[in-house]
Amino acid sequence: MSVDIQFAPAADLATKETPIRSAGNVAATALRFGSLIAFAVILAVFSLTAPYFLSIGNIGNVLGQSAISGVLAIGLTVVLIAGGANVVTGGIDLSLAANMGLSAAVYASLLQLGYGDPVVIVATLLVGLAIGAVNAAAVVLAGIVPLLATLAVMNIVAGLELVLTQNTVLPASSDFLTALSASDGFGIPVLAYVLLGFAAVAAVIVQNTPLGLRLYAVGEFPDAARAAGLPLKRLLAGAFVASGLCGGIAGILSVSYLSGSTTGSGEMLLPVVITALLGSVFSRRLVPTITGTLLSALLVGFLVNGFQLLNLPSTLVSGIQGLLILIVVSATTLLRKREI
Amino acid sequence: MNHDQKSGFGRREILKLAAVAGATFAGTGVFAGQSAAADDDSLSLKGKRIAISATGTDHYFDLQAYNAQIAEVKRLGGEPIAVDAGRNDGKLVAQLQTLIAQKPDAIVQILGTLSVIDPWLKKARDAGIPVLTVDVGSTNSINNTTSDNWGIGKDLALQLVSDIGGEGNIVVFNGFYGVTPCAIRYDQLVNVVKYFPKVKIIQPELRDVIPNTVQDAFTQITAILNKYPEKGSIKAIWSAWDIPQLGATQALAAAGRTEIRTYGVDGSPEVLQLVADPNSPAGADAAQQPAEIGRTAIRNVAKLLAGQTLPRETYVPALLANKTNVAEVTKKLGIG
Repeated sequence: MSVDIQFAPAADLATKETPIRSAGNVAATALRFGSLIAFAVILAVFSLTAPYFLSIGNIGNVLGQSAISGVLAIGLTVVLIAGGANVVTGGIDLSLAANMGLSAAVYASLLQLGYGDPVVIVATLLVGLAIGAVNAAAVVLAGIVPLLATLAVMNIVAGLELVLTQNTVLPASSDFLTALSASDGFGIPVLAYVLLGFAAVAAVIVQNTPLGLRLYAVGEFPDAARAAGLPLKRLLAGAFVASGLCGGIAGILSVSYLSGSTTGSGEMLLPVVITALLGSVFSRRLVPTITGTLLSALLVGFLVNGFQLLNLPSTLVSGIQGLLILIVVSATTLLRKREI
Repeated sequence: MNHDQKSGFGRREILKLAAVAGATFAGTGVFAGQSAAADDDSLSLKGKRIAISATGTDHYFDLQAYNAQIAEVKRLGGEPIAVDAGRNDGKLVAQLQTLIAQKPDAIVQILGTLSVIDPWLKKARDAGIPVLTVDVGSTNSINNTTSDNWGIGKDLALQLVSDIGGEGNIVVFNGFYGVTPCAIRYDQLVNVVKYFPKVKIIQPELRDVIPNTVQDAFTQITAILNKYPEKGSIKAIWSAWDIPQLGATQALAAAGRTEIRTYGVDGSPEVLQLVADPNSPAGADAAQQPAEIGRTAIRNVAKLLAGQTLPRETYVPALLANKTNVAEVTKKLGIG
């Protein structure tokens, strides 16, 4: 993917004198807005066919339901940006879902031991940061490919969670958790605001600051970034630590959503990876962006929600979901090739 | 059931009674099944939307109950909204939230970890939607349709204690104490074992897992057999449902330790087959009637919507299948 991006500016220049210029422009326009149009069409179809879909409460529900996977996918996006989007050798953090599981388990355990919310929140975020730091060390200091480094860390973290929880559900309740799992006067869950607020902050940092620009430079053009004197290793390590922090935050959200820590956090991994990778189709240059990832998380959320409201058998849902993702990704991939 | 009578008996009588418990169960089962079917002619769910939320359908019990509920809602003229969370707690909560937004005429929740689902069952109740449950003892549920898990737990424990002659070490899988029926069955085992001082539950207890329950039970039991290599050092293996029992039974057969007996609950066809096999270590399986439980829960919804008052719990009898009566039980369950 990063190779394609490097060619993209050149393609723009080349189209100037070729006869396929208009076709290229149409394709580029379709590419830029096709995913958004597809998203809008899906929303419109559900609005017309599925009862309750367009209600404020339901839209809030979908936002709230997407909060955990959204925060995780945003963390992964930061790593994808800084590590480059090549699936095999580029940035990836496979330990994110396990991180969320362990963070949630730590939160529930400490709460059960009688600690107050402030202490527990800080401890949980530190656990997330620590896992991010181990990833960073494995990738930057030991030089292991992120795919393998984070796979190993994933197993360690999942093992720690099993030791801590004995693979059982740890119920947890506190004033903070109750407030986090509540809804406002319009029936919109607090988690929905948390997702939007978190995404807004992350988007400002990544898309609108020099730091964010450097992250893109490190991921897309490492040689140029090195020549420009950017601290490559520090930026890449920072991305993994930020991703770890997202795991910790998602852990807290998960404890509030599920009223405790539950088993099976590892199942979140693939949906989160899909969400982050799919997010690229919502950006103009087809690169990972925070807003793209947010839209992608919401697309998946709305699909699942719409299917349930249409009363489709739930056995069909995951198949249809996969099919739609395949269609969207292959359409944009084909368009992108044509553009180049 | 006759719990009160039995509590006054001595040890020998209890052991004898355990042997006939299966037959007692079976008799009650048929009788109760007939009486439940007789009173539903006037019931109707015409024009009603009934939400059916299942934790998962990968287990025989869940699938039977889930499918029977969908069929029963349709039979009574209603529209089922059926959702299956695939044993994923996050998905389960999301589905419940969406169901609440859909405002169905009632929600029936099949199983689930109480601490996870209860806040959302409460939200449904607060939103004015009647909540009924299958196998979940929630204070937010108007009626819980279930097997008599106290009876199941007691009879299975008595069968176990009887089979091992009232003494020896037993291995226990206790991974899902957070799931109410499992907790009741486990507590009943402990209650029975308390009166047999020569029966010891090996510590630490094992924890069964989902998914890969069979493989995991196989591995755990193989490991514990290596720790207790002498024949007779373990007499029985108990689990609150029969999928760990399946893995445990396979592990015993593989290790040649068929002197050890296994015990479980649910009546999955593959486990009942093992109980029927005279060479298999599967000792007994308390077979529930999941489809009947599902139908009963839906009939309860219809009764509630017709203005009737429901009891807190509706029990559907279970059938204890042991080595001697298993053929009869499978025939009654219609899965022979």
